[in-house]
Amino acid sequence: MYRYVISGLSVLSDLELPGLIALPDPAGTPDVRLHAQAVATDLPEATERGPNWQIAPDRFTIEVPGVVRMAISDGRDIAYELLDGTMPEDAAIFLSGTGFGILLHQRGRIVLHASAVRVNGHAVLFCGQSGAGKSTLAAALVEAGYDLVTDDFCGIALRDDGLPWVEPDGRQLKLWQVSIDRLSLADRTTAPVRTQLEKFYVEPRTVISSALPLAAVYVLREARPPDAPGIERPNIVDGALLIRRNAYRPQMVERMGQEALYFQAAATINQRAGVFTLTRAMDFNQFPEVIGWLESHWRTLGLLEQPG
Amino acid sequence: MSDIVWLASYPKSGNTWFRLLVANLGRDTPVDINALPETSGIASARGWFDAAMLFPSGLLTHEESDRLRPRVYRALAASARPAEPDEQETRFGGARFIKSHDAYSYTVDGEALLGGAEVAKAAILIVRDPRDIAGSLANHLGRSIDQAIDFMAAPDSSLSGRRDRQQSQLRQQLPTWAGYNRSWLDQGDIPVHHVRYEDLKTDTAGVLRAALDFAGIEVSDAACRQAVRFAAFDALQQQEREHGFREAPRGMTRDGARGGFFRRGVSGGWREELSVGQVARIEADQAVMMARLSYERSEGSERMTG
Repeated sequence: MYRYVISGLSVLSDLELPGLIALPDPAGTPDVRLHAQAVATDLPEATERGPNWQIAPDRFTIEVPGVVRMAISDGRDIAYELLDGTMPEDAAIFLSGTGFGILLHQRGRIVLHASAVRVNGHAVLFCGQSGAGKSTLAAALVEAGYDLVTDDFCGIALRDDGLPWVEPDGRQLKLWQVSIDRLSLADRTTAPVRTQLEKFYVEPRTVISSALPLAAVYVLREARPPDAPGIERPNIVDGALLIRRNAYRPQMVERMGQEALYFQAAATINQRAGVFTLTRAMDFNQFPEVIGWLESHWRTLGLLEQPG
Repeated sequence: MSDIVWLASYPKSGNTWFRLLVANLGRDTPVDINALPETSGIASARGWFDAAMLFPSGLLTHEESDRLRPRVYRALAASARPAEPDEQETRFGGARFIKSHDAYSYTVDGEALLGGAEVAKAAILIVRDPRDIAGSLANHLGRSIDQAIDFMAAPDSSLSGRRDRQQSQLRQQLPTWAGYNRSWLDQGDIPVHHVRYEDLKTDTAGVLRAALDFAGIEVSDAACRQAVRFAAFDALQQQEREHGFREAPRGMTRDGARGGFFRRGVSGGWREELSVGQVARIEADQAVMMARLSYERSEGSERMTG
């Protein structure tokens, strides 16, 4: 059996999940169990069905056709069935990513499609849909000395102190070959994310295991006309909309009736941290400049000290 | 029946112009070229796949994605609402017009990649003289004209086909200019109407109206003429000059590199743009389909073959 901590939850798995770093063995009963089990194709109590998924009040089934079928139940159990002779290493990313992201939605957690780094004891998030450049920007920031907090999705807890906190993952970055080459990360590159993909896990420099207060959320945008490059703060309504649209699976928020939850979280994040847009060219050569913008923005937010 | 109409074309054949014409129908002011739906405006957008399947297409190989794409379009056809609330497709007259650069093909399971008749009620195929495409495609891809001619003749050409990175769109296979057009003209799943770019230039309102009529949409002559004025080529160039065009390839600017997306918009520009050898190569590569679509061979090559 393997033990991991994902978004602050202890996980007991009968399958190795590459890309997750086993953190110190959590005592007691695990929060989540991940195990092999036959998963029925039909979920009779489903209230809604998609091309490859079915949703019921406490249960969600989803199939990656030809790879794996999963049933995610009560926010604490992920059963999986490998399909068509798929090797576990070709299915694991769908369990630790898609499956776990859905489980977090099921638990009513705020979960954003984001990668995060640590800036002076705080978490700074970079949101965007698949392909927006979250992981690559996080990797460039890690090289600039900011430790990785999480990759791809980010659980946020609203604590009694009224602050939003980010639960770290102990998760490796997932980067495409071109990013690994351009950022010279070959020496820390490990297994492919799937055997046929030129996308690999890259070890972070440091593993962070304790929760961090959330300081800022940046929604990544490509600089394309007429949007000019730079960092901007949208108005409160747009900021709230951006948070909801950058939920890990916005469709889940809607289908599980969690709009109010996200609206409240967005208000808190806006008030206690800040929601910004970061518009930049999708160009590796621009990283030093973009990191410069971020650092100067962090100074204005009081995250970094003013120079001199 | 589905309300989807595919606007199919080989790249650089006038698809964006046609979409802008449709988007300008029934309007009092010209559509902002940057307000056209981008991420959900094309069949190969990843957003649709990811929103329908609830797992990222970026974790699949091109081959795995292709196998699942028919399901995505069936889900799209069945849903009345777009995936992103603020990104409407180009809708007019009760139809959703969606651009596609995918050749009409079938998956390994024998399903139409784009879902067949269950997904779309009609297709409008926009074709353009391949000799005019060559220069425009070279400009678009940032390659030489000779490389563009090779791309148009190679059976394994594609857009967004790289494997070392995640491109913003799913792979679109372009098995030669001739093969692309043949795939749409000869498929038997969806009624298809082809529009020649050259005819659209000559009689924009008339050709637009005929294409819409084919798709079962009645529109007045006056509405077509208004749309034609709003989407006139110099008006589009003017908008691009003032604000840029977000669908232009990276690194292309109106005033700087490569002269802009709305580049020339002319028919027959190849006579000044291509060498005799380049013309001959395209005419040899694409001969049968050129004849079928009534693109006459140049006099020089007629002499050579005659």
